[in-house]
Formats: sequence, structure tokens, C-alpha cells
Amino acid sequence: MPGASSRLIAIACGTAGLAGFFALWQVIGHYQLAGLSWPPLTAVLQYLFDPDRHALFLRAIDATLRSTIAGYLIGALTGIGLASIAYTLPMLQRGSDRFAAVVNSIPSIALGPIFLILISREATPAGVASIHVFFIVYVSMNSGLASTSQAHEDLFSALGSSRLKRFLRLNFPSAVPAIASGLRLSWPAALIGAIIGEWFGAPRGIGILIINSMQNFQINLLWSAVLLAAMASLFFFGMLTLVERAAYRRFR
Amino acid sequence: MARFFVLNWGILLILVAWEGWVAANDFNPIVMPSPQGVFMDMISNPGIYVENTSVTLFVAAVGLAGGLAVGTGLAILTWSSPLLSGIVSPTAVLFSSVPVVSLIPIIARILGYNMATEIAIVVIITFFPSFVFTTAGLRDLPHGSQDLFSVLGASRRATLRRLALPAAVPNMAIALRLAAAHAILAAMIAEFLMGTTGLGYLFAVTKQEFLTERAFGTSVVATAISVAAFLATSLLERRIRARFT
Amino acid sequence: MTGAAISIEHVTKRFPLKGQSAGVMALEDISIAVEQSEFVALLGPSGCGKSTLLRLVASLERPTEGTVSIGGEAPGSLAARHALGVAFQDHALLPWLNVHDNIALPFSLANKPVDREAVGGLIDLVGLNGFETARPGQLSGGMRQRVSIARSLVLSPEVLLLDEPFGALDAVTRRQMNIELQRIWSRQRITTVLVTHSVDEALFLADRVLVLSARPGRIIREVATPFDRPRDPAVMRSATFHDLVDDLTDALHPTDATAHAGR
Ligand SMILES: Nc1ncnc2c1ncn2[C@@H]1O[C@H](COP(=O)(O)OP(=O)(O)OP(=O)(O)O)[C@@H](O)[C@H]1O
Ligand SMILES: [Mg+2]
Repeated sequence: MPGASSRLIAIACGTAGLAGFFALWQVIGHYQLAGLSWPPLTAVLQYLFDPDRHALFLRAIDATLRSTIAGYLIGALTGIGLASIAYTLPMLQRGSDRFAAVVNSIPSIALGPIFLILISREATPAGVASIHVFFIVYVSMNSGLASTSQAHEDLFSALGSSRLKRFLRLNFPSAVPAIASGLRLSWPAALIGAIIGEWFGAPRGIGILIINSMQNFQINLLWSAVLLAAMASLFFFGMLTLVERAAYRRFR
Repeated sequence: MARFFVLNWGILLILVAWEGWVAANDFNPIVMPSPQGVFMDMISNPGIYVENTSVTLFVAAVGLAGGLAVGTGLAILTWSSPLLSGIVSPTAVLFSSVPVVSLIPIIARILGYNMATEIAIVVIITFFPSFVFTTAGLRDLPHGSQDLFSVLGASRRATLRRLALPAAVPNMAIALRLAAAHAILAAMIAEFLMGTTGLGYLFAVTKQEFLTERAFGTSVVATAISVAAFLATSLLERRIRARFT
Repeated sequence: MTGAAISIEHVTKRFPLKGQSAGVMALEDISIAVEQSEFVALLGPSGCGKSTLLRLVASLERPTEGTVSIGGEAPGSLAARHALGVAFQDHALLPWLNVHDNIALPFSLANKPVDREAVGGLIDLVGLNGFETARPGQLSGGMRQRVSIARSLVLSPEVLLLDEPFGALDAVTRRQMNIELQRIWSRQRITTVLVTHSVDEALFLADRVLVLSARPGRIIREVATPFDRPRDPAVMRSATFHDLVDDLTDALHPTDATAHAGR
């Protein structure tokens, strides 16, 4: 089977690339090729998995993930909601596109202080995360809705279906794969939003660890926090990729 | 006029809600300024805004150009060598699904707090979309075109120049749109964290000194340039898509 | 078979297919020799391996068993010499190039200066005057196919492979294109293999018509056309022509065959 062996080769190459990346990280850190701010991988891992610090990191990642997930859900629902409304009421479409683009263009660091007043210190990370997710989901859903095939549109028109029914039975299902892609892509963005949101006085979280360790020169802590954020991102990203695949299988 | 409302009802809604909210709560301008107050600050101190905006734009533009160049270059390299592609691509894709913005503090620590670092940060952050989309574009060829080039005895170089690169142009336009937004955000976050220059810096100090109207003015300017970049790159992307597909 | 321009000897082609350990047998032990300056047409039911056969000659596929050679060389060397012309089922035009540049593309790929006269002449020939600067997205399906045919001829190739080049054309245009192709071909006599579903087209254009069986493809009928060249469209109304059409149609649809069983 040539397919299986080429797949093996691909996996081997990818693993080699990743191993090379980690090796490079280790070597640069070990010989201090990039100065004291670049610790070797082993030092970072040791720091991160030191039992004494479990409580610290767990509390931080727990807080950040809660904010991220809350913001993710709110953002996704508003994105889907606004896209649906704009699609069924076409006169709103262009204005809502621009509204979404503008809201998304407000720099995240400026969103922080607004949410601080608007909601609360604790809820700010989720708020910033939700804005990031909102835009990506909104845009994906729009392009998914636009991908409805003309032949099907014509069929529904010929059958005299109402606009709402057509939306529920045809346009929305056609958009599901695109929405799933948007949901996958918006996860790292949600995490970034939550981390930035935490910089504005959240009581705890990965973002707090990152900014404090940066200011206090706690290099191992800084790298550990970033690595932890990366691992959390990858884990959920992988799960969402599976969801996306299922969506493509079911709706394409 | 009607057209203006059709396009901008969302933005007007934000402004009206903002003004109403401030009026209803009778906020102190230090806590939450009104749109009018922010606007007044902007027109009475244009110098500060212009200066910092140009610095941020410069950092974002230079970094963006660098990131796109490096991303496209590496994409072409991996296109030319399947082995290299197999080795590099998974890692790059892995990176692009990681919150890269959280790398900014690390890069700042390693390279030092200065403008070159800000540019380097923008390069690194815009590199990922550029690499990922260009790589995909180089392989997304029109149906049957690869067979055609093979039958016509095209060299690898000619295939790159006349087939793969033109085929990748629409994807490069998508990369430009995404990367432009990332560039402005990354530049501002870097400035905000390192406290050097630019809009991010202006925002950080004015917030600290309770010059809230100016902090909001900075946000408005940053939003405006991001929206402008978004609209311009979207338009470009549509044009390119129409031209190349 | 010496002297043959294209020689296909005992070729079998099997495609791997998921869930089927044996794979798909597209062609089985097929041998065809096409002479220098001969025009051969292939007829056969859908999925019998006609396109696969052309792709083998174009060196886009490798035979599972047997050999394919062109003028004694491996088929790949013809492509490397830029001496192959193809127009395949899907037109494969580059969407970012206009009609003129699409037709001129083979020159660039062969590192030759573009012969504007040749390109113009072919645009003329396929009836696309005035569309030189249009891009494929602005053309109809039939117009795109005509661009693809013009492109296949622009380098005056040694071997021409045509896979249902007129499939998307209406009957009238198709007939016109047949007549035009016949005219150019009679002048240049490029060794040609044409795949088609139209018995009339095969008989009008080719020196020899081969009928393939359903998958796996094997040759079940072979007819040499007795018409002189250049051919007048009037031959299509002759009694011989009609007899041959009946003969080939029977071979193609053995179920409603009356007298002729596959040989
Ligand atoms: N790349 C491939 N992988 C797997 N199977 C293939 C591949 N190409 C062709 N086949 C199979 O080989 C058989 C012959 O295909 P081919 O395209 O040559 O048919 P054809 O005679 O040109 O049909 P049509 O008249 O419909 O164009 C088909 O059963 C097809 O499914
Ligand atoms: Mg075919």
C-alpha cells in the first residue's frame, strides 16, 4: 500500500521537524546563545511540572480556561445570531458587516478598560475573548451562507418556501461546515483575548503570570506560562478539528 | 444619506449607546469619557496623535512586509522540496494554532525593549498566516493544470513561476488581510508592554495617568486605522480574486 | 511492432482502490500500434479506460504491466522535448490568463519566443476572434474547449492526444470543429489519438477506429475508414459511412446487437 507508507514518511518527517525545533530550543537555551532570557527546554519543563508549583499553574489555567470558554460561547452565539439576522433581513447586511469589522478592529488592549467599566474585572477576559470569537464566527458563517448552491435556492423558491424556512432548512445547514471551521479557528483567538483581558487587573490567570513574570524577570515562569497556554490551545484546537471533520462529513 | 445609514448603522448605534450610557450614569470623564470629550481631545492635540500613529503604522508596515516576505519565501522553499515541507510544515501549522500573541513578552525579553524588537515581533506574528496560506495556495492548482504542465514538459521553475505562484495569489491576498490586522494589533501590544513609543505606548501612559479621554482617543485612532486596513485589504482581496479565478 | 509512432504493448493498468484489495482494473492486456501520421479514434462505453490509455501515452500514468513507447522512446521524453499536444476532457485553462496567453502558454513553457502569428491563426481557426483578451471565466464551456484545442496545436506537436475535445460543444459547432480539425490535420498529418463518444466524429476524422469493451477495456472491434483525404463533409452522407456507423454502433452496444457480435 503506497498510501500507508507515504503517510508513515509524512509522520516521520513531521516528528523530525518538531524534534528539531525542540532540540534547537534546548541547544540555544543550554549554551545561552540568545542570552539569559532563553532557558533550555528541560529547565522550562522542570519548572512547569515541579509539584510545588502545581497549585499555582492549575489555578491560573483554570481561571483562564473558564474565561476563554465563557467568552468563546458568548462570542460564537452572538456571531451566529447576528449573521442569521443579517441574512434574513438583507437590508441590515452591509451595515452589520461593517459593524462586525469595526468591533473587531478595536485593539484588544483598548477593549480591556472598556469591559472593566462595562462589566467587571473578573469578566473582562471573557469579554475580550468573546469579541475575537464573534468576528471570526460571523465572517465564517457569512461565507458559509453565501456558499449555498444556486440550484438548491432555485428549488426552494420553486417550491414556494418562505425565507425563514429556506434559511432553516437550506442556508443554515449549508453554512454548518464553514461555521465549524470558524469555531476551530477562533479558539486560539479566544485564548489570546482572555490572556490580554487578564492584563487589566484580573485576580488570576495565565495572562497575569505572563505579565508579572515578564516585568519581574522570572524567565522560567514566563516560558512555562506561555508553554502552558500553547498546550491548552493545541488540546482544544485538536478537539475542535475533530468536530469540524464531523461537520464536513455530515453536511457536505 | 440613506446609503450612509445602510452602511454605518452599527457604528452609529455604538456611538449613541456610548453617549447615552455615559449620560445615564453621569460618569466622571476620568472613569468613562463621552464620545464628545474624546473627540474634543483629539482635535485639540493633533500633534501627539499624528506622531504616535505614524510610529505604529511604520512598525506595523515594516513588520508586515517582512513577515509576508519571510512567509512567502519559506512557502516557496517548502514547495520546492517535499522533504523540507514535510519537516517544516507540521511545526509551522502547530505554531499557527497557538496563541502567538503570548510570545510577545518572550520576544521582548530576548531582544530588548526597542523599536527593532517591535518590528521583529510583527514579522514573527505576521509570518504564520503568510506561510500557511501561501503554502496552501501553491498547492491549490486549477483542475488538470498540473497534468497540462507535465505534458508540455514544463520545468520545475516554469511550473512555479507560471502555475503555482499565480495560483497562490488569491491566498496571499487572504494572508495579507489577516496579517495586516495582526500587524497593527501586535505592534500595539508590543508598544503597550514595552512602553517605548507609538499608540500602544500612548494608551498605556495615558491610562496610567488617568488621561482617560486621551486613552480613548488613542483607541479610536487605532480602531480607525485597523478598519481602514481591513477595508483596503478586503477590497484588494476581492479584486485579486476576481482577477485570478 | 517497428515503425509504429505509438506502440502500446500488452498493457494492463490497475488502480488501487480503498476497500478493494485487487483495485480497479481499468485496462487489461491491451496492444495498439499507431503508425506515423496516422489518426486513430477510440470509442468505448464510459469508464472503460479510454482516458487512462491517453494518460499512459502522455506519461501521466505508468502501466502496471506492459510497455508504452513513442517512436522507440519512453513517452516522457516527448513531453520533455515539448513535442506533445493534448486537449483533455477538462479544458485545464489557467483562469488568470486571457485566451491569447492561454494559447501561447506552451511557447513559454518550451522557452520559445511566442509566435504571435501562429496564435492568431489558431484563434481564427477555432472561431474566437474578438475574444483574445477575454479570460476563461468569461467564456462558455464550448469556447473554453476550443481554446484548449487551439493550445494543443500551437507548437505543431509530433503527437496529438485529444480526449473528447468537443464534448461540451453543440452539434452544429461540433460539426464545424470536426471539419476544421480534419482540414488542419490533413495538412499537417500529426500522429493523433482521439477519444470520443461520437461514432460519426470518429469515422469522419480517423484513419482507423478502435472500439473498446466495458471495463476492463479490451479492443473488440477495429475498422479502417476507406475515405480519401482531405475529406469532404459529404462523405458523412455516403452509404459506406452509414454502414460503418451501424457496424460500430452495434459493437458499442452488444445487447441490442443483431448481426455483429464482438470479435
Ligand atoms: N486515478 C484513478 N484512481 C482510481 N481509479 C481510476 C483513476 N483513473 C481512472 N480510474 C478508473 O479507471 C476506469 C477507467 O477510467 P477512464 O477515465 O479511463 O474512463 P473513460 O473511458 O475515459 O470514461 P469516460 O468516457 O467516462 O471519460 C474507471 O473505472 C475509473 O474509475
Ligand atoms: Mg474519459
